[in-house]
Amino acid sequence: MQEKGFWRGLYQKLASPKLTVAIFLVLAAASVVGTLMPQGLGVAELQGHYGQRAIWFITTFGLNDLYHTGWFRLLLLSLCANLVVCTVERLPRTLKIYRRREEPLDPQKLAKYSLNRQFTSKFSRDETEARLTGIISEEFSALQMLDEDGHAAGVVEKGRWSPLMVYVVHLSVLLVLCGALIGSMFGFKGFMNILEGEATNEVMLEGSDRSMNLPFQVRCDKFDVSYYDNGMPREFRSDLTLIHDGKEVLKRELRVNDPLTYDGITFYQASYGAMLRDVEVELADRESGAVRRLIIPFREWVNIPGTKDRAQILRFDEDFRGLGPVMVMIISRAGGEPVGARILIDRDFHGNRVENYNVRVLRATRIPYTGLQVKQDPGVWLVWLGFAAMLVGIGLIYYVSHRKLWVWAAADAGKGTTNVVIAGRANKNEISFERDFGRLCDRLQAELRQEKGEGKP
Amino acid sequence: MITSSILLAITTFAYLLCALLYLAGVIFRRRSILLWGSVTGAAALAIQMAGIILRWWESYQMGYGHAPLSNLYESLVFAAWAIMLIYLIMEHRTKQRALGMFPALFAFLAMAYASFSTGVSSKIQPLLPALKSNWLIAHVVTCFIGYAAFAVSFGISILYITSKSKPETGESAHSLLPHPRQLDEFNYQMVLFGFLWLSLGIITGSVWADLAWGAYWSWDPKETWSLITWLIYAALLHARTMKGWRGSRVAWLSIIGFGCVLFTYFGVNFLLGGLHSYANMK
Repeated sequence: MQEKGFWRGLYQKLASPKLTVAIFLVLAAASVVGTLMPQGLGVAELQGHYGQRAIWFITTFGLNDLYHTGWFRLLLLSLCANLVVCTVERLPRTLKIYRRREEPLDPQKLAKYSLNRQFTSKFSRDETEARLTGIISEEFSALQMLDEDGHAAGVVEKGRWSPLMVYVVHLSVLLVLCGALIGSMFGFKGFMNILEGEATNEVMLEGSDRSMNLPFQVRCDKFDVSYYDNGMPREFRSDLTLIHDGKEVLKRELRVNDPLTYDGITFYQASYGAMLRDVEVELADRESGAVRRLIIPFREWVNIPGTKDRAQILRFDEDFRGLGPVMVMIISRAGGEPVGARILIDRDFHGNRVENYNVRVLRATRIPYTGLQVKQDPGVWLVWLGFAAMLVGIGLIYYVSHRKLWVWAAADAGKGTTNVVIAGRANKNEISFERDFGRLCDRLQAELRQEKGEGKP
Repeated sequence: MITSSILLAITTFAYLLCALLYLAGVIFRRRSILLWGSVTGAAALAIQMAGIILRWWESYQMGYGHAPLSNLYESLVFAAWAIMLIYLIMEHRTKQRALGMFPALFAFLAMAYASFSTGVSSKIQPLLPALKSNWLIAHVVTCFIGYAAFAVSFGISILYITSKSKPETGESAHSLLPHPRQLDEFNYQMVLFGFLWLSLGIITGSVWADLAWGAYWSWDPKETWSLITWLIYAALLHARTMKGWRGSRVAWLSIIGFGCVLFTYFGVNFLLGGLHSYANMK
């Protein structure tokens, strides 16, 4: 029993509009924290900025990756739960309006509406009804007469569908979040650097050290940057060829803002750079005095002629701490661990030495590479659908309000006149409806008071 | 020779004059002065429109050829234009002229900041590859219409709070300011309008980001702050319709919301950085 009470209590909490507003404000506050605290920093980087306690706090609550923490997702989930419960609670009541037949009108009840007008028409009941119908249809919308005995009763409404629009907006939020969830579960996001002239199918996955292989190869035939006359970059362009099962299936230029999709996988021009192809070095042996020239391709062992030593270029940096391009060269000698050092490529530096060799770089040839963002997102269409629904919903909420008029008229036996009661209600924009209602009633009153053959008073 | 900078300089001072006229009209309770405020505002809007179109044309003459919506200067100019446009449409529809001082003042401040701040360059510059897209126009225009509506709502909120805090005297009946209940209704309409356009702005930005970077949402500070703004106004709309909040509380939420708009616009550029940092480029 107690458990049932708990669930009932939780359900009622979730149905309360107070919670909706609270979730909005908490989500907003959490998002603020996420923008003030730099995201994506590791513990090592945090240590440079914060004390031990602060780091404990940051890592415990995941403030350095706030939007992907469990508690932030829980907030989003509670927003969804709140949306669903509110819809379950309220939608049936809203739908009733569309199913229900109009109840017989009660003039006393109508007179209690905040917007109402009662007056006496000098015409007979039938004549009054005809004139009311004519004027209201002209000013508002076609008046539907209800089948009632003795008196005339009618309703007219505009923007009937407007109360449903709020549910469309709520559904749209769920669609967007579902789309995002599907994307994060079944899609991937990654990065590939392709050297000019080379082909690869390896994608480095975002946020991890893992990589995956595409079922086809991507070749970069050429990468090109063009500039404006003031030096700003004008365009980044990669000429790509996709190779599937050994066949060239697609050739296209890839530019920023113009992605390429093949087989459900989309490629974006994201970055570019250059990698070392090979270097030509002069090695001066300090012990023997011999000077040798050799060409070393990047990351390949090369024998140093006349010795048993081997050399390799392990790393290359286009700019190392403002010293220009730098490479790490290692030399492996039989019976020992390889020994390496940083070599400044553009400068004749006395520290350019490894083991017993002084190193001078004669030439360093680079190959440009293009950096592509790669993604597959099977949920994105749901996100777009949600966006469209959200715009339609909010747009119609803004432009259309539900306005309804009730009209009741009955003959005042003996006098030959007719008593008229009109009431109105709008779900939004009450002031402008009040004005329209007043104007309509003024016109009705003016026209119905007028007697046959008599001029205006 | 008339250049866009001359037209935009004239606009700046016309908005100042317009704000002063609106203010004088309310203080001295003269409808005729308010009418002059409206005339000045409409004229300034037209001159500014000509200035913006001329600047567009000038960018083609320079060989860059893009809509004048690409940097802080151009967005400030557009913001001023949008604020005044939305205000004048509201004025026309509600037949209330007495609310113009804040919108005209904001338009003037935006123009003055764009023109006189040393941190804002008014030079026409070419577009970076990331900005070369038709989505640029859709995204900037929709966002700034939303921001402008929130600016107008902010002005209404301030008027609401100040007119509420004044003791009820016989004089207020002669005041040209609308009744507080009307102000509340205008405010709601304006926030709902702004919310529609902010949603459009976020969505166009999102679709564009997916085209340019392959991620429709990446929690970049600008994106996040636009979401924060969206959440605050969503809270306002729900508090009003579901919990029946009216008047001062709604006005205060609108003021907080506009604070978020300003932070999204300026604070993120100057304090936080991120994908939109090119907007800060001089």
